[in-house]
Amino acid sequence: MRTLFICCFLCFACVDGIAQPAHKKTTPTKNGYVKITFKNTINGQPVVLNDSVYTNPFRETYRIKKLKYYISNFQFSLVSIKKIVPVKRCFLINQADDSSLSITLEVPATRYDEMGFLLGVDSVLNTSGAQTGALDPLNDMFWTWHSGYIMQKLEGTSPQSNIVNNKFEYHIGGYEGESSVLQTIWLNHAISVEKGKTTSIIINADIGKYWNAAYPVKISETPVCSTPGALAKKLAGNFSTVFSIADVIQ
Amino acid sequence: MKIKITIALLLVVLGGTSFLSDAPPKLHYLKLTFPKDWPKPPKDIFATNPLTEEGFELGKKLFYDGRLSKDGNVPCASCHQQFASFSTYDHDFSHGFNNSFTRRNAPPIFNLAWMKELHWDGAINHIEVQPLAPLTAANEMAESIENVLRKLNADTAYKRMFKAAFGDATINSQHMLKALAQFTGSIISCNSKYDQVKKGTASFSMSEEQGYKIFKAKCNACHTEPLFTDNSFRNNGLDINLQLADKGRMGISNDPSDSLKFKVPSLRNLYLTAPYMHDGRMNTLQEVLQHYRNGINATQPTLDSLLKNRIAVSKKEEVDLLAFLYTLTDTEMVKNKRFAATATYKMHEGPH
Ligand code: HEC
Ligand code: HEC
Repeated sequence: MRTLFICCFLCFACVDGIAQPAHKKTTPTKNGYVKITFKNTINGQPVVLNDSVYTNPFRETYRIKKLKYYISNFQFSLVSIKKIVPVKRCFLINQADDSSLSITLEVPATRYDEMGFLLGVDSVLNTSGAQTGALDPLNDMFWTWHSGYIMQKLEGTSPQSNIVNNKFEYHIGGYEGESSVLQTIWLNHAISVEKGKTTSIIINADIGKYWNAAYPVKISETPVCSTPGALAKKLAGNFSTVFSIADVIQ
Repeated sequence: MKIKITIALLLVVLGGTSFLSDAPPKLHYLKLTFPKDWPKPPKDIFATNPLTEEGFELGKKLFYDGRLSKDGNVPCASCHQQFASFSTYDHDFSHGFNNSFTRRNAPPIFNLAWMKELHWDGAINHIEVQPLAPLTAANEMAESIENVLRKLNADTAYKRMFKAAFGDATINSQHMLKALAQFTGSIISCNSKYDQVKKGTASFSMSEEQGYKIFKAKCNACHTEPLFTDNSFRNNGLDINLQLADKGRMGISNDPSDSLKFKVPSLRNLYLTAPYMHDGRMNTLQEVLQHYRNGINATQPTLDSLLKNRIAVSKKEEVDLLAFLYTLTDTEMVKNKRFAATATYKMHEGPH
């Protein structure tokens, strides 16, 4: 009886062990971490989905229902020795999901001068078939009728929109040649990373800038973008201007 | 009593572990085989999706399962019927969810490994993501991926098959899509009479031989042997259907020089895939040849240069050409039990 019981117990232990992911790799001692937090803001205030009413530079009022965008292929650069540390991973920033707003990466401990990332999903991942995690089509960021990821999605309502339900919907994407909306964003800031420790980087994404960067987006004139092409490129150009480093905390 | 319970518990635990553990399942690997003298596929569609018996069988079950659609009545196989070379038999447009119609003629499914892009306009860039289009289209299966996964995850038979094929009993979209690709990507047509003649195990009749010559002179530039398509996008001079206003490739590339271009369809199994063209506007091959003879709209700026002078096919030539085209019928593929629904599940599994 007793042995059986122990045996059974061992079995449970064993199941438990199997359910765990394979042994976590021990951090090589020379590495540290950066925790990058994206703060989506308008007029300096965190974006509040659905409830808050905002005004764009054209005096159009709007509410935001969805704000999602892909960030991938981080790079940390040491300008002095012309070295770049790449971190090839892909993340979906989703304003509706707090846990998506912070990303922790492991990088060699040193003092970086600049960080960069790709705004979007690179062309290889756009053409490599079924993906999972941030790139799972379940995230509603994949065009099913024309393969490719929606790189940035901004949806909401505005009384100035003349389409059904006063909607606006910007689905910005395109990874191929002329229609590619992919852009690498570089942000200049000293970032020191100590081994075994975490440096926090706060990135401010001032969504208010989207409406009137290089290209003026009036909801009354352009309430929708749903395909890759010239319009998507202009909108992506605007989107690329929203990012800045607000703070680096060691 | 206590001992019995403990033993029972032990068995449950042991049974449970074998089902849930991460021990690599035994997989039976398969290789995509095709005639030696065929061109190599442009890329290996199974490079990141190793083809296995387990994955193939699972993909087949999914392909024939109505539960992938919203009302349970529209499996992939409802529009892609094996006896019609996996096109929709005798339909210009196929029936989707709730009495809707597709916007294009359902193409047959075979030799997908050679296609860089799928669909008439090349909208789909990879075989694995192709099913997302019919699954979610309101006029096809009209279902959400969430719901499909919920239904599959509630079915222990599926969980067991996914576990066997991909080592994970929790069904996710990636594994579902990879399984479907293993099935559709495995459908190869390479055993028609034409293929047997090439292998030296059969010979053409006089008329077929004559037709083959005509074919090589007049059709092969686009419908290139041995696949009978070069998988390029071209305009073969059909008048635009004003109701559909389908501009083909241009809808994807936004490039006006792609206006009215469609993927050159393979002519394999042509006798099983009527009606013809992207909108199924022609019912017979005679009509098709009549089009090439004098129906081509030569005012379209994007008309393929090979067709500027139309294709003269005399009535005598037509008889031989049709005899040759008939030799492209691959009865083995359309009767192959390997691609057919297995007895344990039927195409329409009834309401769920
Ligand atoms: C309601 C009918 C319908 C259903 C259901 C359907 N299809 Fe299709 N299928 C079509 C049509 C129509 C096209 C052509 C689409 C286009 O060109 O825009 C097509 C195209 C395809 C192609 C591309 C073939 C080529 O030559 O480019 C593949 C592969 C395919 N379907 C597989 C599937 C799979 C797998 C499923 C199930 C997940 C499925 N289909 C469900 C109608 C259907
Ligand atoms: C310039 C390239 C070109 C040439 C040459 C050409 N075709 Fe085509 N063919 C096409 C294209 C493109 C389509 C698809 C058109 C569409 O649906 O919009 C097509 C469609 C067809 C179809 C319909 C197939 C289906 O499944 O719907 C048949 C049959 C056909 N061609 C037969 C022929 C024959 C026979 C010849 C020689 C007499 C020929 N073609 C020459 C480009 C060509």
